[in-house]
Amino acid sequence: MRESVFDVFARKERGEPLTHIGYVDAMDAELARVYAWTTYDEQNWFEMCIVPRTHIIPVNRNDGPFAGNAVTTPSGAAQHRDVGASLEEEGA
Amino acid sequence: MSDALRADDLSADVRAALRRQIVTLADSKRILGLRYSDWLLGAPSIETGIAASSMAQDEWGHARLLYAMLKDFGEDPSAAEHERSRQEYANVSVLDESFSDWAGFVMAMTVVDGALALALEGLAEGRYEPARSRIPKMLGEEEFHRDMGLAWLRTLGGGAQEARDRLRQAGDWALPRTLAWLAPDDERYGLLVDAGLAASPETLLGRFRDRYGPTMTSIDVEVPEPAAQGWDPARGRSAGAPDEEVVSRARGDLNRALMVD
Repeated sequence: MRESVFDVFARKERGEPLTHIGYVDAMDAELARVYAWTTYDEQNWFEMCIVPRTHIIPVNRNDGPFAGNAVTTPSGAAQHRDVGASLEEEGA
Repeated sequence: MSDALRADDLSADVRAALRRQIVTLADSKRILGLRYSDWLLGAPSIETGIAASSMAQDEWGHARLLYAMLKDFGEDPSAAEHERSRQEYANVSVLDESFSDWAGFVMAMTVVDGALALALEGLAEGRYEPARSRIPKMLGEEEFHRDMGLAWLRTLGGGAQEARDRLRQAGDWALPRTLAWLAPDDERYGLLVDAGLAASPETLLGRFRDRYGPTMTSIDVEVPEPAAQGWDPARGRSAGAPDEEVVSRARGDLNRALMVD
């Protein structure tokens, strides 16, 4: 089974902003939850979340790690690309 | 709570039965942590190895807390942790052996770790106050072990035929004796149940089947009836013992030799 990238976000205290703290490779979301919790355990996190990288939509740039998820806009500000192909390019 | 009990409140035979339950839980967690740690660098991915490391640390921490409960029995926990022979170790008997492959790791993570969590739950629901206060945090950490175990069971179970065959072999290895450990059919455990200190064997087996049965069925692994191999009532486990090498590591012999009083 192919692994996917899941980005990990966490906050130390209630009311603090969620911060991107890293990512894990996992075969599904269930395993990604466990890997995120055990990999980024340097803090006593108040809250941790994971997001499949394929679900992160860039807003103002069409380069960088999320470029493959860019959506087509009426103004043509970003071009849609194949999500699976972009992951392979990243070596995910 | 008003019905909470301490070791001093118990009769000698109930007290001995409770001590047996605490020691078998502590020893199992200590050895399980070692077995997990053997796979830190051999797991299928870096993330999985890190998770194995985290689970090993959890198990060692839980073992330490459980050994510490022996203070309530007027004992020095250090003696239980560091001075017993391998024949005295009361760990779940399948942990006498190292995991043969990743399927063995996954099955132990589900079956053995899961049975330990259920036994802890059963103790925390009872009248023994130290169990009520100390076990819930352990169970919170165990939820991640359970999630990882079930996810990996489904992954291997949905994989190649060889993976499914190895899972079935691992199930045959782990399930019968672990279930016999979880649900002891002996007089000493009956004393704990009668005193309101632990869940009944029927309750624990039912919970195991509810929790793991559907996933086991989906991967063609049958949950069998408990089957001990030569029950040892003194330790609350099947016959046999871990080998000297693993017990030496469990006791920390090499490291303790460097300590100066």
